[in-house]
Amino acid sequence: MRTGRWLAAVPMAALALATVYPLVFTTNVALKTRHEYVLDRFSPADSPQVDNLATAWGSVGMARYLTNSLVVVTCAVALLLVLGSMAGFALGRLRFRGSRTLYLGCLAALFVPFQVVMVPLARTMAALGLIDTRPGLVLAYVAQFLPFTIFLMASYYAHIPVEIVDAARIDGNTLFGVYRRIMLPIGVPALISVGILNALFCWNDVLIALLLMPSAENRTLMVGVTSLRGQYSDDIPTFAAGVLIAAVPVLLVYLFFQRHIVQGVTAGSTKG
Amino acid sequence: MPLAGTPSSVRSDPAARTVRVPTGRGARPGARAGARRAEYLAPYALVAPAVLVIVVLRLYPLVLGVNFSFTGDGELDGTAVGLDNYVTLFGDPLFLGALRNVGLLVLLLPVAVAIPGLLATFIHLRVPGHRLFRGVYFFPAVLSPVIVGAIFNLLLAFDGPVNAVLDTVDLGPVDWLGDPDVAIFAVVGVHVWATFGMALVVFLAGFSTLDPSLLDAARIDGAPLPRIIWHVIIPGLSRTIQFVVVTTMIGMLTSMFGLLYVMTSGGPGGATYLPEYYIWIQQGQMSRPALASAASTVLFLVMVVVGLLQISVLRRSGRAE
Repeated sequence: MRTGRWLAAVPMAALALATVYPLVFTTNVALKTRHEYVLDRFSPADSPQVDNLATAWGSVGMARYLTNSLVVVTCAVALLLVLGSMAGFALGRLRFRGSRTLYLGCLAALFVPFQVVMVPLARTMAALGLIDTRPGLVLAYVAQFLPFTIFLMASYYAHIPVEIVDAARIDGNTLFGVYRRIMLPIGVPALISVGILNALFCWNDVLIALLLMPSAENRTLMVGVTSLRGQYSDDIPTFAAGVLIAAVPVLLVYLFFQRHIVQGVTAGSTKG
Repeated sequence: MPLAGTPSSVRSDPAARTVRVPTGRGARPGARAGARRAEYLAPYALVAPAVLVIVVLRLYPLVLGVNFSFTGDGELDGTAVGLDNYVTLFGDPLFLGALRNVGLLVLLLPVAVAIPGLLATFIHLRVPGHRLFRGVYFFPAVLSPVIVGAIFNLLLAFDGPVNAVLDTVDLGPVDWLGDPDVAIFAVVGVHVWATFGMALVVFLAGFSTLDPSLLDAARIDGAPLPRIIWHVIIPGLSRTIQFVVVTTMIGMLTSMFGLLYVMTSGGPGGATYLPEYYIWIQQGQMSRPALASAASTVLFLVMVVVGLLQISVLRRSGRAE
C-alpha cells in the first residue's frame, strides 16, 4: 500500500500540473510582447511587461463591462439571499397548508434548465420592457438560481430546533419577526456559502447575458471576453491579457473562499 | 462556520438523508390562542415573492414554450402549425448532429464520473500531497466556461502547447478544433478538465460518510486496491455515485454553451452542435423562435428522463436506509 501511494502520486502530480499549466501559459503569454510571442511562445517572458494588460483594459471597455457585472451580480445575489432565506425558512421549518406542494414546485423548477425556457422568457422580458436593462438581467438571474438557493436554505433551516421558533413566538414575535431577528442571523453561515456560489454562477454566466443584453454597452464581463477574440485575433498577447483580467476576480474569490464554495457544492449532495 | 456545523449536524440527523421536508409542528398557528389572520397568512407572505418569481419566470415560460413550439415562425407567427416544427427539427442535420453528440456524451459519462471518483479515492487514502491536489484540482471549476474556452483556444491552437508536447513524442500535430472528427472530443475534454473538481469534492464529501472501519479492515486483510474499490467503496458510495452521475449529465447537457460559443461556434461544419447551441442559434441568429422552442421541448424531455431517473434512485436508496 505504501509504495502504491507513491505510484499514484506521480500521475496525480502530473494531472495537477496539467490543471495549473493552462493558466500559467496564458499569464506568460500576456506578459510577452507581440514580437516575443511570435518568436517563441513557450519560453518565460524575457522582460515581463504590463503593456498588454493596460491595452486590453483600456481599449475594449473592460471597465464598463466590469461595472455592469459587479452591479448586476451584487443586486442578484442580494435578492437571491433575501427571497431564498425567507422561502427556505418557511418551507424548511414551518408546516402550513400547501407548504409541501410549494416546496416540491420549487424543486421541480431545478429541473427546468434555462435553455428550455429561454425563448418564451426573452418574449416575456421584452413584453415587460426589461430587455437590455440591468433589472431584467437581475430578475433573470434570480429566477435561474432561486430554486437551488431555496433548496439549500430549506435544508439548512430544517435542522434548526423547532423550540427556537416556539420560544421566540411565545416571547411575542410575529412570524416575520422570528425570521428577521432569529432565522436570518442563524442562517448567516449558509447564506455566505450560498451567496458566494450564486455570485460565481451569475458572474460566470454568458448565455443569459447574451440573450437579454444585446447592446454592446450593456455587456457583462464574460460577454465582453467573448468579443475580445475578434478584436485581437492578430494580437494574442493582448487577447491573453484580457482573458487574464477577467479571470483574476474569480481566482481571488477562490483563494479566499475555497472552503465556503466547497461546502455549498457538497451541501446538496449529502442531502440527495 | 461550516454548513454542517448547525446545532444538529447534517450527518447525525436522519431527516437529512431523505428528500422529505422535516416538519415543525410548533409553528402551527391554529394551535395558538387568538390565531390572528395576519399570522395565519404570514408563511404565505414569506414564500410569496420567491414563488411568484419561479412561477412567472420558470414554470409559466415552460408551458408557454411548449405551446409556442406548435406555432409557426415569421409570417406564420402565432398560427397553429401542428407538428411542423418537430418535422423540420428531425429533418435538420444540425439538430440530428446535436442529438448524436448527446449520445456521445452519454457514452463518455462513465469516464467523466470515474476520473474524479478514482482521484477522490486516492486523495481519501492520503496519497502524498493530497491536500494540495484537492485544492488544485478544484480550481478550474470556479472559472467561467468563457475563460476556460478562451484559454484552450490558445492551448489547442495548431501551433499551440498541446501540439508542441505531442511533437516531442513524434505525434500530431492534430487540428483539435478544426477537424470535425476530433473537435467534439476536444470540447468535451475541456469540459471535463473544467468540471472534474466539482465531482471530486462531492465524492470526497461522500467518503467522509463512509465507515472508516470497513476500509481499514479491507486494508489489513491485504486486499488489493481494485478489490477494495469494487467491494467496499462502490457499494458504500452508491448514493454519491448516483448523485454525481445525474449532476454530471445535467452539466453536460446544459452548461457547455460557453465553451461551444467561444471555442468552435458549433463548427467545424456543425460537428460540435449540442441542443442548447442549436436553440441559441435558431432563436438568436436565425429568428426561428418557434423552431427553437420545439428544440427546447425535446431538450426538456431529455431532462425529465434524467430527473425521473434521479427521483427513482432517491426513492430506492431511501427505502434501503
